[in-house]
Amino acid sequence: MQDWNAMHDDDFRMEVRRFIEQNYPEHLRFLTNRPPFQVIKPWLMKLAEKGWSAPHWPVEYGGMGLSPRKLLIYMDEQGRWGVARQFLGEAGTVQLGPMLISHGTPEQKKNLLPKILTYENIWCQGYSEPNAGSDLASLSMEARLEDDSFVLNGRKIWTSSGLDSTHIYLLARSDKQARKKQQGISFLLVDLAAPGVTVRGIKNISGTTEYCEITFDNVRIPISNMVGELHQGWTVSRSLMGFERINTGSPRRAEFAFKRLEALARERGLFKDAGFVDRYTELALDLADLKAVFVHFADMLCRGETLDADLSVLQLLSAETNQRITEFLLETSGELGLTVTESDSDGRVDALQPFLVMRAVTIGAGTSEIHRDIIAKRVLKLPS
Amino acid sequence: MNTINESQSDPAEELKQRLALLRDSARQYAGNAAHLKRARALRGTRPGHDAVVWREMAALGWTGTMLPEQYGGTGLGCAEMATICEALGRSLLPEPVTAAAVLAGGAILYGDNEALKAKLLPALASGDLLPSLAWREDTHATTILAVAARAEASASGVRLSGAKRLIVGGAGADGFVVSAQQHGGLALYWVPLAAVGPRLVFHDLPDGRPAADLELDGIEVPAANRIAGPGVAELALARAYDEALIMTAAELHGLSTRTLEITTEYLRTRVQFGKPIGSFQALQHQAANLYIQHRLCQHALQEVVTLLQQPGVDENVRGALASRIKARCADASLRITRTAVQMHGAMGFADECDVGMYLRRAVTLAAWLGGADVHRRRYARLALTEIAA
Ligand SMILES: Cc1cc2nc3c(=O)[nH]c(=O)nc-3n(C[C@H](O)[C@H](O)[C@H](O)COP(=O)(O)OP(=O)(O)OC[C@H]3O[C@@H](n4cnc5c(N)ncnc54)[C@H](O)[C@@H]3O)c2cc1C
Repeated sequence: MQDWNAMHDDDFRMEVRRFIEQNYPEHLRFLTNRPPFQVIKPWLMKLAEKGWSAPHWPVEYGGMGLSPRKLLIYMDEQGRWGVARQFLGEAGTVQLGPMLISHGTPEQKKNLLPKILTYENIWCQGYSEPNAGSDLASLSMEARLEDDSFVLNGRKIWTSSGLDSTHIYLLARSDKQARKKQQGISFLLVDLAAPGVTVRGIKNISGTTEYCEITFDNVRIPISNMVGELHQGWTVSRSLMGFERINTGSPRRAEFAFKRLEALARERGLFKDAGFVDRYTELALDLADLKAVFVHFADMLCRGETLDADLSVLQLLSAETNQRITEFLLETSGELGLTVTESDSDGRVDALQPFLVMRAVTIGAGTSEIHRDIIAKRVLKLPS
Repeated sequence: MNTINESQSDPAEELKQRLALLRDSARQYAGNAAHLKRARALRGTRPGHDAVVWREMAALGWTGTMLPEQYGGTGLGCAEMATICEALGRSLLPEPVTAAAVLAGGAILYGDNEALKAKLLPALASGDLLPSLAWREDTHATTILAVAARAEASASGVRLSGAKRLIVGGAGADGFVVSAQQHGGLALYWVPLAAVGPRLVFHDLPDGRPAADLELDGIEVPAANRIAGPGVAELALARAYDEALIMTAAELHGLSTRTLEITTEYLRTRVQFGKPIGSFQALQHQAANLYIQHRLCQHALQEVVTLLQQPGVDENVRGALASRIKARCADASLRITRTAVQMHGAMGFADECDVGMYLRRAVTLAAWLGGADVHRRRYARLALTEIAA
């Protein structure tokens, strides 16, 4: 087994670069959306064959075991080549894997982790419910303990890539009498093929069906499908500590969108236009400084420090920079931009899809309002 | 328009009352919830609107509002038409009233071909004709007068060449007003659908309505189809364009207003953390900011249409007013609809939620005929003497 961390940084960088350049599909470079699983699958399979599905997992579980420093190089090279930074169906490697590694039983690790790495199992995240979004802890899906099984009843919603997934990890209420709403919740694993599970796709504003509503009608699962202790699921779900937490704060999608802006400006000769250049430069600096913030948090991880509420700064800056860039892209593309779609093959820049897709970045990973609340209350310690 | 000056009647007061009546009836018709459902169902279809509704609107006088009575219209002004457009915007009606009745209709009306006017305009007013203006070409031009298409004399009349793009309302059009250069300058020609043949290609706009591209090469029309020749054509196009800008602004204002209503209602009813989310000050202040944008548009629009109600407004003044209001309403509507999506959370990102339709219409109308950036620049050119000089 290769010890990547023992390699010289530059050698490692070149090795990663070579692999990406040789294997990453040309037509998927610099996407501003999250590609659907089926679209990105050929690349994921290449990664899986190479043993590179989970760069951040420990080697003993099939990961690359990269140190934070090497991981940054790995991410950097992906960004350089325009590898999709997020995709639909990544919840298994990005989220569930690390949680299982820290909270799963030996059987769970042995049975589940390898199938995550090969994408034999595709996992989706079932936290949100119709009446539990920002206020996630008020979730009401019921997990009734009967002998050695749970019986599930209720509804999950906005589940990304639910239609592509084979399994779901979810939070459900196992104790309705608990004193605090964060208590009495268990973290459970469910096969979506189980009787009583219904998945309905929900079309989004950009016209694609990536999130879903999943209903559970007397779905029975063995108690061995619980991760962590009974009623302690909230803690499990909050346990991500490492790079998974700065995943959504990466400047990469904003960089990809910015590239489109540059392409459009070249096509239209806008670099001669002082009004355009002023706003373009403002965004270029926003992006540069966003990267500095990202590097700061990445360095904290490299030094082994824990991330705290402060991380909301990165999340907000990243999401809102993304939005500002795509808003300006749309504005700049003007009237003729209205009919350009992703499928146009003549090199014209699609501004509408990035604009619409980026509407979600200030909602899905915790809304901007909630992140501002966190900064005000937990960082600045302002009174409630 | 002349009002008889009776000693007790105040023309401003009269206009206000007339507008209130118009607004009530337009809202009553357009406000029917069935229209929004219909708009949803018609997305991505051709022609993208409903011919029956088009006729109903004509029967209500909306396609002839700004046409003189001699052409079957009601001879009213910008203020009245804006009131109607605002109501259409509120319910996202897909019928291309501004594109056909104001932009194309205006180009015909302000031309100088009496015979064509007498033939086309009454049909527009009665709902029998849906004209479309084909002006845009595949350039980055920011003015309606930038035309490269050509009109040349041929054996049977005039032969057109070039290509037009993004013709809103073009999918259901019975004919096109085409701008083209001819000997001596810009001209406008009437091209009936029959003369167009298979030269139309359709695209979906962000709001799901179609726009057409029109290949002109090979189209021939009789010389008598000239709506306006050099000199007149520029003035006709510029005026129709300005009036269409104002009506688009009014539609944007209408849709923002409705979006704000839908959103404040959601803030009252959606509960998180045991309270309506509208009780959180972070959202209250954002809602207040949107309301301020709404009021800015409302009063600016009112001022603009009132000023244009006077006879003999200077061309540059009219252009500046039109650009000013288009820029304002475009910016405000984008901000209001984007924030509305945000305030609806993941629900706002779903296609089944109406605010997304409002956002997509705002995106479409904000860019159509030039976005806020284009119109701020035009305003600077026309009205800010320091810059224009
Ligand atoms: C594209 C996308 C993908 C998603 N994928 C998944 C997934 O895979 N799995 C999953 O479990 N969930 C997923 N979600 C759901 C996501 O977690 C929720 O959207 C998010 O938690 C917000 O909840 P909500 O949508 O119910 O909005 P709400 O909580 O109802 O919020 C509505 C509005 O109220 C504001 N608000 C709420 N509380 C406060 C407050 N205290 N102070 C100020 N403002 C407040 C919000 O900021 C927002 O503007 C996804 C969402 C999106 C958009």
